[in-house]
Amino acid sequence: MKEKLSDLYAKDGTKTVLASVLSILIGLAMGSLIILVVGLANPNLGISGAWDGIRLTFAGIFSTGRDAAGALTFGFNSTNLGNMLFRATPLILTGLSVAVAFKTGLFNIGAPGQYLMGTAATLVIALSIPSGTMPGVMVWLLAFLGGTLAGALWGCIPGLVKAFLNINEVLACIMTNWIAANLVTWIFDGSKFRNLVENTKSGYIYKTTYALTQVDGVWTYVDGKGVSTAKMGLDKIFPGSQVNGGILIAIAIAILIYILMSKTTLGYQLKACGANRHAARYAGIADRRNIVLSMAIAGALSGAAAALYYLSSNTEFFWSTYQSLPATGFNGIPVALLAASNPIAVIFTGCFMSMLDIVGLQLTNLTAYNEYITDVIIAIIVYLSAFSLMIKLFLTGRKKRRAQAPVSESGGAQGAPAPEDGTRQEGGGQA
Amino acid sequence: MEADNIIEMLHITKEFPGIVANDDITLQLRRGEIHALLGENGAGKSTLMSVLFGLYQPEAGQIRKNGQVVKIQNPNDATALGIGMVHQHFKLIDVFTVLDNIILGAETTKLGFLQKKAAREKVQALSERYGLKVDLDAKVEDITVGMQQRVEILKMLYRDNEILIFDEPTAVLTPQEIEELMETMKSFAKEGKSILFISHKLNEIMAVADRVTVLRKGKCVGTIQTKDTDKQALSNMMVGRPVQLEVQKTPAKPGKTVLEVQGLRVVDRIHKRDAVRDVSFNVREGEIVCIAGIDGNGQSELVYGLTGLERVSAGTVKLCGQDISRATIHHRSGNMSHIPEDRHKHGLVLDFTLEQNMVLQRFREKRFQNAGFINKGAVRSYTQALIRQYDVRSGQGPVTVVRSMSGGNQQKAIIARELDRENPLIVAVQPTRGLDVGAIEYIHQQLVEERDKGRGVLLVSLELDEVMSLSDRILVMYGGEIVGELDPKKTTVEELGLYMAGAKRMTKGGRAQ
Ligand SMILES: Nc1ncnc2c1ncn2[C@@H]1O[C@H](COP(=O)(O)OP(=O)(O)OP(=O)(O)O)[C@@H](O)[C@H]1O
Ligand SMILES: [Mg+2]
Repeated sequence: MKEKLSDLYAKDGTKTVLASVLSILIGLAMGSLIILVVGLANPNLGISGAWDGIRLTFAGIFSTGRDAAGALTFGFNSTNLGNMLFRATPLILTGLSVAVAFKTGLFNIGAPGQYLMGTAATLVIALSIPSGTMPGVMVWLLAFLGGTLAGALWGCIPGLVKAFLNINEVLACIMTNWIAANLVTWIFDGSKFRNLVENTKSGYIYKTTYALTQVDGVWTYVDGKGVSTAKMGLDKIFPGSQVNGGILIAIAIAILIYILMSKTTLGYQLKACGANRHAARYAGIADRRNIVLSMAIAGALSGAAAALYYLSSNTEFFWSTYQSLPATGFNGIPVALLAASNPIAVIFTGCFMSMLDIVGLQLTNLTAYNEYITDVIIAIIVYLSAFSLMIKLFLTGRKKRRAQAPVSESGGAQGAPAPEDGTRQEGGGQA
Repeated sequence: MEADNIIEMLHITKEFPGIVANDDITLQLRRGEIHALLGENGAGKSTLMSVLFGLYQPEAGQIRKNGQVVKIQNPNDATALGIGMVHQHFKLIDVFTVLDNIILGAETTKLGFLQKKAAREKVQALSERYGLKVDLDAKVEDITVGMQQRVEILKMLYRDNEILIFDEPTAVLTPQEIEELMETMKSFAKEGKSILFISHKLNEIMAVADRVTVLRKGKCVGTIQTKDTDKQALSNMMVGRPVQLEVQKTPAKPGKTVLEVQGLRVVDRIHKRDAVRDVSFNVREGEIVCIAGIDGNGQSELVYGLTGLERVSAGTVKLCGQDISRATIHHRSGNMSHIPEDRHKHGLVLDFTLEQNMVLQRFREKRFQNAGFINKGAVRSYTQALIRQYDVRSGQGPVTVVRSMSGGNQQKAIIARELDRENPLIVAVQPTRGLDVGAIEYIHQQLVEERDKGRGVLLVSLELDEVMSLSDRILVMYGGEIVGELDPKKTTVEELGLYMAGAKRMTKGGRAQ
């Protein structure tokens, strides 16, 4: 049994998982520390308030409020869990978007722009088809595919620029992000899609549950005539939450991406181009086409993220976006990093990131802390996820030291973490 | 009598997953000697030197300097002990200038500001003293491999190292540069520096080394004085069987034309001038045609043009009767195998496994895929067959990450992949670079066998021995043109040298001028 355990430890994958778990734990621990300090500094909170905060940080997802005596209670909370899955849906997809690009040697920091373009396309399509012209499923599908395609096309731009002009994709992505932000504002500014029915909401676009309907000979938007993602029974499991079938679609897409990347010839080509573009070209693989394709797939995933989020029936789009970019797009980066770009792991890290959101809400609702404390925790984890490679090296070094201990007669025991798992020193000098 | 050992590596053992790279190896380096390290590809030479340079920690054994046990945990420790290393594959930063590369990591600063002037003077002095010509302000990516190597040597000298490790320094050099390097090494030894020198070229070892230690499969076979041995004995010692140092072949029986090149021009992208100027020749079935020449006379660009890595600006290339001058690489590789010059840049995806690299061109074939899904089983068994046939050694077989393989075995993997594709034309650029004598023997045999099967072989080589012994026809390139066509049986190395240096050329009719 001991034998087996050490075998498992020696595996590269195990170390990757451990490194990510460690970054998460360190992030949570540091968050707790901040909560403690803030608590002690704030007479409204004190040590007991801090203790509540810390418990919520770790287990907020299972929080069920406070009992009569005012103590925190924990248990199965269908609302929290369902909402976590709901919020995880777009994060998983933007995480996949960044992960696919990473695997093919590209850094897709353009996810926010692709997400915005996906949003715009989804909403324009869903809100342009008058009710009754076709079955709701068709409208839903068109809107979903339209959003995905818009994301893909937007992702193509940095891909093309990189492939043909050799301009760094990060620069191109940042520019396309802001172009998207302005373009989307321009599309919706003064458009008929702005929500004028509920007049307090003129900054928002209609939800997709609205559809153009003829009332007394006049075309107006009517709620309930539009489309939304089917619940697929999830509302029965998680009553009182916003969850819908989108999460199942996201998980299915993650599995498809896993298969695409590790089992198919297309994935093989994409990875070859990412790992060594020159060698891929030498072997007759169309390197340019593959770079564009990688970015298109990445963009499609971000577009799909937006489509699923806005087709959910309980989200509204604030259309004046030219000053800011959607955080969901950027949060794909830590989701992918924590998952070490493994598409299956992205499902879990996506859920984890959305769980922190829920924790933030719990802190706001149940304590005198506000949700921004979880933003701090997320920030720490994001930093650490970038360091997870170093943590991994550290784990490798620890293993080595242990292995060396028995032969230490001449004092050669404390080996520095030798950079040897796969990163051979000799290679790659000239390339 | 106690020998004056400056470095002793005692009972060194170093393991990697699936392989013991160094198994109880003891090596003693005397002050002021040139000590050669010889062994087959994957015998553990680079690993042993990396241990001495602090890149790897051995599982067992100790290192002594001047009789004192020392611990070398990283290259900084090694530098502090006066140990410097020129790696098999250089470690320079492409976008830095030569000077910046030399002083990197050993900068002198004043209040945090670089003191480049002093550094420049020191480097210039060293470069003059040893005749190591470099262009201090050029970027590394723009200079030749030979100059990159001089940069690496200057790096060691700049750090005042007294123990110099050269890991296969001559594999990438032209014969002229090798001459110069040998002289430089001798002058280092005369000054009392001690040198460890890895090479597969027995001539070089016999010429400069005082002693030689032979490794085989991770074990030490023995250390002998070069004056007490000869090339044949050394090669038998390292391979463990008699090696045929001469190529055995019958006269060629050329058939139909496979490759026909007419008025080819290829532009050198960096310097924006014609690197290949109006070149015409052909290669027939069943013959080995060799392009000889000093490095940098357009051979690389010619190959780029033929294989499609670079666009041709004029002329035609016909392969098996088909005009391929504008065809895609994918299209060409259906009839053409290509052993590339730069194995790390073009030949391999270093972070892929061996099996993934073995099907780099063939993964689309029916046997390796099924409706777009890779047939892992078929890829695995195909790789295993090639590993066996070509004796590609690695720690974990088909799933070894190629980056971790020894340089020579990386090369063998490429050759296995390219020859097994059974194409009518084989373009081989420096195919035996970095291979041990046993492997060279085998690859030469294979190339002759391919020829006898009726394939056309276009060989580009800088090594005169290889050119003379392997080819059926020699084309000499100088200044981007073909200046002579020679018959290896009727010419001499001296005559070849004159053509290569541009001192002699043939007119279009074929007469010497
Ligand atoms: N970092 C590493 N990880 C795993 N295996 C390694 C690593 N470095 C070397 N090896 C293995 O150790 C063995 C010895 O490699 P080494 O590079 O020392 O050979 P070498 O004698 O220098 O050969 P060559 O003449 O081909 O350069 C090889 O089988 C190689 O696959
Ligand atoms: Mg080596």
